Amino acid sequence: MKRAIPVFVLTVAGLIPVWRYHPSAGTVETAQPASTPPPVPSGTASAPSASSSAASSKVVPGTAVSTTKGVFQVEVTFRGDRIASVRMLQAPHHPQTRWAVPELIAETLTAQSAHIDTVSGATITSQGYRESLQAALDAKGS
Amino acid sequence: MRRVEHVMGFPVSLRIDDEGDFGAAADEVFAWLRRVDARFSPFKSGSEVSRYGRGELAEDELSADLREVLGLCERYRSATGGAFDVRLAGRGLDPCAVVKGWSVQRAAGLLAAAGARRFCLNAGGDVVVSGGPWRVGIRHPEQADRVCSVLAVTDAAVATSGRYERGDHILDGRTGRPATGLLSLTVVAPTLTEADTTATAAFALGADGPAWAAARPGCEVFAVDTARRVLRTPGLPVA
Repeated sequence: MKRAIPVFVLTVAGLIPVWRYHPSAGTVETAQPASTPPPVPSGTASAPSASSSAASSKVVPGTAVSTTKGVFQVEVTFRGDRIASVRMLQAPHHPQTRWAVPELIAETLTAQSAHIDTVSGATITSQGYRESLQAALDAKGS
Repeated sequence: MRRVEHVMGFPVSLRIDDEGDFGAAADEVFAWLRRVDARFSPFKSGSEVSRYGRGELAEDELSADLREVLGLCERYRSATGGAFDVRLAGRGLDPCAVVKGWSVQRAAGLLAAAGARRFCLNAGGDVVVSGGPWRVGIRHPEQADRVCSVLAVTDAAVATSGRYERGDHILDGRTGRPATGLLSLTVVAPTLTEADTTATAAFALGADGPAWAAARPGCEVFAVDTARRVLRTPGLPVA
């Protein structure tokens, strides 16, 4: 366990910027099922390697670490000597450390034909342009 | 004045509502875009991009413009955890996704420098406007002759990514497979460089894309997922 302590500290230190800046898809309202795991930026959590998958797993709660923003505590799952996953057990409710959750409003898709000046759409080919709304707008003039 | 020309394989529509003669400025815009096509197209074997991709040019031999574009590519690659990648395995260097927005934003700069204040430049569906508000429709992802939202846009840019025009051309760099999860994703941002690249990168991220794009500073988002549900940011300038 002694050797593990620096690992926890490093893990917590490494997680804080991720936790602060990575917008988790899992926290977006109604964006997708809650079971979808948030994307983990590469290099922040060691993925279990194929060779270690057979080794036994061990879940260890980390020590609580006090920072100027509050107390953080993680839980680490080891597979053999490797960290397989890290989970946040405790995190402070501080405005600067909240998940950067962008608010998204869910609406129903509608089709309309309103007065418009121009159309934004997926890049249209010169061939597709002939039958496009934009071609009609260009032809109409002002 | 209005003008439409085909450059880089897509139509570019320019409308300038200011009084005066902006013919020379318009000429300059289309000449610049044609120059960009010659220099940065990965489909032209003699372009700077193709030569760099084949290793015929060293990094210190690159033009300042290409270095700027490659810098933008790298910034978005790292911001998306690799989902947005202009160097996919089995493909040569293809910075098109960045070059388009970047070059059209530059073109808008040429118009502004020539004194135009009220114009709308639409490059194959990606839009930069000066002055306003301009009513910018977002094409319905499944009905080509309909829009699914109308935005009131002033001094800003709007870009949309989707697969309904050119199929599965956007790959998720993390898997190398076509991006899934979204029908289309539109970004409104202060510049087209930001709007276009963010829209493409977010589309590559799939279901995670709308939240990722919404978290980028200055970006408003309108996305349609494969369940035909709209996800948009509260700040989107809906007309």
